[in-house]
Amino acid sequence: SLFQGLLSILRKLKSTPDQEVRILLLGLDNGGKTTLLKQLASEDISHITPTQGFNIKSVQSQGFKLNVWDIGGQRKIRPYWRNYFENTDLLIYVIDSADRKRFEETGQELAELLDEEKLSGVPVLIFANKQDLLTAAPASEIAEGLNLHTIRDRVWQIQSCSALTGEGVQDGMNWVCKSVNAKRK
Amino acid sequence: MGCFFSKKSRRKSPVKEPGQTAPKQYSWDKREKVDPKDFMLTGVKDATVGRLPGKLNGQQFVIQDCENCNIFVFDHSATVTIDDCVNCRIVLGPVKGSVFFRDCKDIKCVVACQQFRTRDCKKMDVFLCCATQPIIESSTSMKFGCFQYYYPDLAFHFKDAGLSIFNNNWSNIHDFTPVSGETNWSLLPEDAAVLEYVPLPDSESEFKSVRISTEVNRSIVPMTKGGRRKESEESCLFVFFAGDYTTANARKLIDETTAKGYTLIQTKEVSMRPEDVNRVFQNNKTIFVPTGPVVALELNGDGVVEACRSIANEIFNGTKVFVSENKSSASRDVDNFFNFADMQMGL
Repeated sequence: SLFQGLLSILRKLKSTPDQEVRILLLGLDNGGKTTLLKQLASEDISHITPTQGFNIKSVQSQGFKLNVWDIGGQRKIRPYWRNYFENTDLLIYVIDSADRKRFEETGQELAELLDEEKLSGVPVLIFANKQDLLTAAPASEIAEGLNLHTIRDRVWQIQSCSALTGEGVQDGMNWVCKSVNAKRK
Repeated sequence: MGCFFSKKSRRKSPVKEPGQTAPKQYSWDKREKVDPKDFMLTGVKDATVGRLPGKLNGQQFVIQDCENCNIFVFDHSATVTIDDCVNCRIVLGPVKGSVFFRDCKDIKCVVACQQFRTRDCKKMDVFLCCATQPIIESSTSMKFGCFQYYYPDLAFHFKDAGLSIFNNNWSNIHDFTPVSGETNWSLLPEDAAVLEYVPLPDSESEFKSVRISTEVNRSIVPMTKGGRRKESEESCLFVFFAGDYTTANARKLIDETTAKGYTLIQTKEVSMRPEDVNRVFQNNKTIFVPTGPVVALELNGDGVVEACRSIANEIFNGTKVFVSENKSSASRDVDNFFNFADMQMGL
């Protein structure tokens, strides 16, 4: 009947699996990934411990349910990142903009990720984090050093932010939701 | 695609995709430009250098390529990285975020921070106050002891950095690169004297005006036994619930018990809601509603429970406290409370 039909449409709209987004949060150790994760979840960020394995949180954002996987970034455990690639809808890569000593290293890791078969075509948001710190390089400088303009195989965005204060984070997440929408069409 | 950094001058052109509006202005775009060099120590040799109180004021600090230096940072900061330093003695005032040593060798330091990290370091002696579990990676001969330091502004700097003197995980280190058959880290001797590792600043230096003390009983951070072997099987949990005088009361308790020969194992400062209080202190008849973070202490020694109970009666009569009832319930109290605190402070 018409009524049954309407009911089934309503049921679909309420719990559509299309609205779940799997986000992988990567970057070097000490970059601010876990702080970002907690900021997204509107939780206290004054007492964060270095991540030994990984953290997951589900966050509601603009009608989407974001399942965010925050993986530890120490050099020794980066080989385990690939265990989390499968079914990733979007990659968020976090850079400590104020750790100039490690710009080359983080550029290298990002380049390798963008070369990964299992991440091909996955949109990437690069957070130029820790802008609250004095020696932070601006996003434009980081984009240039990383040669982001040579990325041709996927949509990407660089966003300056301070995960600690929250400034710039929502702007990055707005792009995330826009990109997910675009991909779904 | 290339990934190394060019040394070109900073271009002001906004990064955007075709069709996007120009990026908005953030607080970091509008703030007064400061010379980054004022917050860096680079390539110093055979000298006494650092920062006096008020000179950093919560900003980031960078130390790199220093050799045979005595480095004193007597202020609170946002975060500190130390790269490629050799044979240095370093004191870092309270750091709100992380302290990260990379490629350093032969370092003796006194550090207070939220996170402590090392990578590719060798031979470090660290007197540490760390709010979270310290981590090391690809580092060897790392030794840790409890933070022990005083200078007049240090207590304020702890507050400015948002660090509690009661949250100190100095003795349980996580090693990301353990080697079977060896340990990359160990604890410093219990009686290690800070001055033998990190001397006072030269009397002719700019730091001569800073009145430092390294005596145990003057240390801003209480000396805790941490993971060292306990002397007695008897411990006691002592918890202060009241808000305003908690720190002073806790220090008074430490002084009283230390004078009687008891040792302080660990401390924690943590927020508790009434339902947490009910759950953690199940058998306690009086229910306190905390008016601020509670401070808990584990004291140890034969007869410590009785000693704590009489101290509570004589000195803290009228103060909202919890003290273990007897030796067997004390062991449960300690586990219950510190397990709860660990859960609260983990993710």
